[in-house]
Amino acid sequence: MVDAPYAIELTGMVKRFPTSDGGVYTAVSGIDLAVPAGRFVSVVGPTGCGKSTLLNAAAGLAPPSEGSVRIFGEPLEGLNKRASYMFQQDALLPWRTVLDNVTLGPRMKGVGRAEREQRGREWLERVGLGPFAGAYPHQLSGGMRRRVAVAQSWIVDPDFIFMDEPFSALDVQTRQLMEDQLLRLWTGSGKTVVFVTHDLDEAISLADEVVLLSAGPASRIVGTYPIDLPRPRDLMDIRTTPAFQDLYRAIWSDLRSEVMKSYERRALAVSNG
Amino acid sequence: MSDALSRSRTAEPALDDAEARPVDVAPDAAVGPDAATGPDAGPVRRRRRRISPLVLFLQVAVAVAFVGGWELLSRIDVLDPFFFSSPSAVAERVWTWLTTGEIYDDLLITLQEAFYGLVIGAVLGLVVGFALARMRLLAAVLDPYVKALNAIPRVVLAPIFLLWFGLGIWSKVAFAVTLVFFIVFFNTYQGVREVDRVLVDNSRMLGASESQLIRHVFLPSALSWIFSSLHVSVGFAIVGAVVGEYLGSASGIGYVIAQAEGTFDTTGVFAGIVVLSVFVIVVDLLVNRVERHLLRWRPEPSHAEVV
Ligand SMILES: Nc1ncnc2c1ncn2[C@@H]1O[C@H](COP(=O)(O)OP(=O)(O)O)[C@@H](O)[C@H]1O
Ligand SMILES: [Mg+2]
Repeated sequence: MVDAPYAIELTGMVKRFPTSDGGVYTAVSGIDLAVPAGRFVSVVGPTGCGKSTLLNAAAGLAPPSEGSVRIFGEPLEGLNKRASYMFQQDALLPWRTVLDNVTLGPRMKGVGRAEREQRGREWLERVGLGPFAGAYPHQLSGGMRRRVAVAQSWIVDPDFIFMDEPFSALDVQTRQLMEDQLLRLWTGSGKTVVFVTHDLDEAISLADEVVLLSAGPASRIVGTYPIDLPRPRDLMDIRTTPAFQDLYRAIWSDLRSEVMKSYERRALAVSNG
Repeated sequence: MSDALSRSRTAEPALDDAEARPVDVAPDAAVGPDAATGPDAGPVRRRRRRISPLVLFLQVAVAVAFVGGWELLSRIDVLDPFFFSSPSAVAERVWTWLTTGEIYDDLLITLQEAFYGLVIGAVLGLVVGFALARMRLLAAVLDPYVKALNAIPRVVLAPIFLLWFGLGIWSKVAFAVTLVFFIVFFNTYQGVREVDRVLVDNSRMLGASESQLIRHVFLPSALSWIFSSLHVSVGFAIVGAVVGEYLGSASGIGYVIAQAEGTFDTTGVFAGIVVLSVFVIVVDLLVNRVERHLLRWRPEPSHAEVV
């Protein structure tokens, strides 16, 4: 166990972007992050600090400018084929039905129609969308589309689930139902989850560990906070327990100072022109 | 590397600048699309609309007043029937054509020319649009040439096409192709370029190869843009065929009208125009149905602006 490699290991990661005026913007710098297999890790930080950038590096969509990404000890080349990625924006194909969207992954991997449709229907049942197999995405509500996206990313049975503020656009009730469902899916699955959010409540109540990023530019990891709340968790009640509130206060005091910095820098940038 | 990217972007502003909606090019004002497809022609998809009874009544009233007034004025000789004919004479001529069946061959020829023009123009536009959208360098190099070609008024090409392809249907097909090609080309180009980045990333994460991306993401996106401009394309195809016939041929609706004109047969000209209009309306209704089926995955447009 001691020698088992981390599921994800970012070492000395730096990511720079070219700016429109020909300069360079350093989004994140000196990121060292190790995630053991089967962990549920939340990443929080002020808007624009580089949370999506971290996910993109781990997914292989945008390799770091410097540093290394290792997946189960192997350097990552190209896309992370063991991962599913649930994007912040809607990523369903508008011209495909719900069933075709859910079964997109199996289809790309050459699974036959009968088998993939059967699996697709099972997943639609699981996320409560059985009757909507033949609907098109625009006919669904935002929450239903998110559930399709959940089914789409879980059906391929990946080792990693990357989620980028997946529920941030939903109303509070829908969001809590989705969080519940996510925990039920994940429990016992052995999958490694990296869950990006700007909502500290959400981060703490779901995760085994919260990773806090500092304000950009050159954002780095301010701290990692183990969340030793017992599982299974009842998301309705957990937020009112003293243990939760202690954790919340501890992380929030750090997060708040980063958010303030981020505001100040932006105000400065605006006043400087 | 990123430098080269941004440079190639600025080098092709015309191809990039178009708004994110199906492109409706009017390469030749003389043979614009509106002539063929009426005020309903446009890149925005049309759905069945409810017309209020009052509007419908007034619409019929306009037609009755126009046709009645025309008939009356020509009967009392205010309008010279030699120059203006009369609705009854036109109706009679159309009736004769339909009952003797002499017009059907011409209609069929025009339909055939428009159909070939549409298919060939669309396939060429799709292929070239795809190639340029996926190969930035090629797009940057060819940009001025595409614009120059599209700027040619098509009518001046007619004599050349007649020389190259003869008096038969192929010179008209070529004529229609030059009109349809650019609409489909611009829409394909835009459709491929405007594909949401996150759709591509999501599909790649789910295991899509390059060819699967084209098949499941880029092609449907481009097709949706092309279908959105189907009315315009079909209108252009018919216009191309008719204008081609008009300028030199031995059959087709355009030829019938040109013949009548040559013998100062005003009734024949108007009858030809009537037949052509009805023909275009019927084709347009068919296109509506095809379009509704092909784009069924799209949300209904809002009905806010409906009268
Ligand atoms: N493709 C890109 N080109 C230029 N700048 C980028 C790009 N992607 C992200 N950035 C910048 O990097 C910073 C971090 O972005 P991101 O990771 O999306 O932040 P977060 O997800 O935390 O809101 C932001 O300031 C953003 O403007
Ligand atoms: Mg983000």
